[in-house]
Amino acid sequence: MVLKLYGFPMSTCTQRALLALHEKGVPYEMVEVQLHKGETKTPEFLANQPFGQVPYIDEDGFILYESRAIARYIAEKYASQGTPNLLPTADLKARALFEQAASIETSDFDQYASHIVMEGLFKPMMGGTTDKAKVQDLTSTLSKKLDVYEQILGKQRYLSGDNITLADLFHVPYGVLLKRAGADVLDGRPNVKRWFDDMTSRPSWQAIKSGSAA
Amino acid sequence: MVLTLYGNPKASCTQRVATVMHEKQVPFKLVTIELSKGEHKAPDYLEKQPFGQIPVLDDDGYLIYETRAISRYIAEKYADQGTPLIPKDLKAKGHFEQAASVEQANYDAYAGKAVVEKVFKPMFGQTPDDAVVERLLTSLEASLDVYEKILSKQKYVAGNEITLVDIFHLPLLSLLPLTGRDVYSTRPNVEKWAKGLIDRPSFQSVKDGVRSTA
Repeated sequence: MVLKLYGFPMSTCTQRALLALHEKGVPYEMVEVQLHKGETKTPEFLANQPFGQVPYIDEDGFILYESRAIARYIAEKYASQGTPNLLPTADLKARALFEQAASIETSDFDQYASHIVMEGLFKPMMGGTTDKAKVQDLTSTLSKKLDVYEQILGKQRYLSGDNITLADLFHVPYGVLLKRAGADVLDGRPNVKRWFDDMTSRPSWQAIKSGSAA
Repeated sequence: MVLTLYGNPKASCTQRVATVMHEKQVPFKLVTIELSKGEHKAPDYLEKQPFGQIPVLDDDGYLIYETRAISRYIAEKYADQGTPLIPKDLKAKGHFEQAASVEQANYDAYAGKAVVEKVFKPMFGQTPDDAVVERLLTSLEASLDVYEKILSKQKYVAGNEITLVDIFHLPLLSLLPLTGRDVYSTRPNVEKWAKGLIDRPSFQSVKDGVRSTA
């Protein structure tokens, strides 16, 4: 039975899972969740995803949520097909450097980027007003973090070494929206720009980007 | 050569890693980094941790930072000793990753910031923003309502066995009461789980200050 992905094309977190599915060449069926109709708060939905968030997968009855967990599961299960070593398993030290990069993504990028995009892009799209001072504050912190990324990416091609991993790809869905949200932070640092453009030119992002709000 | 952990005895992130060291019965030497003296921003420290944060692990010259990455590395390297903390089966691993992602996005994102704002800021002579603390704790409580449901069906966050992810929650679980909000008394399953974790000898060994064990 084909894997079902519950989410919707414009959802950044759904895109994160989609990137993994495309990189590994895994067929799937997207079941569109009607967020604006409150579908994620229905008992049926909460029975599968108790936090009321998208996405989740249903693989023949095996339910899994959290986009990064889904991506990791796909990368491990289909390790031998598609892009290799998205989740390095063979070498303990390579694996640990991947985990370091994955942790940097959530603590030093996503924390700021997701709030910048919520406040600067999604809020006005839903009829609200952006708190510009908040966006500026978050952008200033994110910029300092990206100065460190610039250093790291000056010594190696990707965040955990010279091979692309999931930790790099996790940055894409919010990364592409930062400029529109008012945080033009990726273009001014040559190594960061090189790394980010590399990822967005990959077939996996090209295949799904039409769903993005970018 | 014995493992060296650069950190601070009272810092939650250092305690998170030290708890895992104790669970896995791995001796380590603690090298104290004095945050009040700005030692985490010194050039030779930034060589080890370019974001200027603690802790960092030095395993005979192999450096790794980000507490969850360090913890995973230790749990994998020493898989055969101490408490087993990472499941091997693919689907159990999927649930482990799901819980790990929830810990960062739906727990630490609120709990960590609330504790910093309400408990740590005053320690450094700054005034907490109570409105910010209120918002964070309200979001945290919404997540803990979901934890209450999850923990009514299983003993730990990823299943019926303890894993690293339960340990990741620990330092903050013991600090939450200091925010002034009672998150436990209306959530008996969360309270039981939290108390069980806090009472573990590994955490008891570090909660009043991490010390070298080698």
